[in-house]
Amino acid sequence: MDHLLLLVWHALLVSVFFAYLWRYEARARRRLFLKTLLIMVLGGIACGWLMYVAP
Amino acid sequence: MSTKVPQDGTAESRQAARRKAPVVLLIAAWLVPGLGHLLLGKRHRALVFGLVVLASFVTGVLVDGELGTPREASPFSWLATIACCGNGALYFVRLIWLNGLDLLSLSSFPYQLQGGGSPTAAGFSYGNTFLYTAGLMNLLVMLDVSDITRGEKD
Repeated sequence: MDHLLLLVWHALLVSVFFAYLWRYEARARRRLFLKTLLIMVLGGIACGWLMYVAP
Repeated sequence: MSTKVPQDGTAESRQAARRKAPVVLLIAAWLVPGLGHLLLGKRHRALVFGLVVLASFVTGVLVDGELGTPREASPFSWLATIACCGNGALYFVRLIWLNGLDLLSLSSFPYQLQGGGSPTAAGFSYGNTFLYTAGLMNLLVMLDVSDITRGEKD
């Protein structure tokens, strides 16, 4: 099972959802989608790296 | 984001705040993800919300996630149950799939309900996350339907 793929898939679904829930114009939706996706994916990877130091 | 009702404390805005969303519409929005928006004529959003909730739920089931069910002496299991209940009909169909049609006749209902999944599976925690997320997203969709019918959103 590819953990990164699941992380990206989850981030993708959540980003699409909030882009459509909170924004009405196509441009604003795209911006929120990309911002949320990047934050979730990069934040998830960063948290994963940080957890290497945990016992 | 555009709002239709002025939030300035005028009689019109106070009246709009008191207006209630039809219960049948909210139940429809809860039972079938996207149906609430579809009934309001928001076809595009209905399709997106329906597909996102369905995709998240199916992914959760496929990677061996466990549906939230109440556990005796485990109060937090009720939070998981509420989150998963947000999936509406999907939740009940999956419960019936796992427990059979006579689930109401279990001796210590609802504590004996099986939520499926396998704690030893690699995707167990991921699956749970997908299932909880799907339910919580559908609850937000319900709130959105309520806001639209009350005139607070487009």
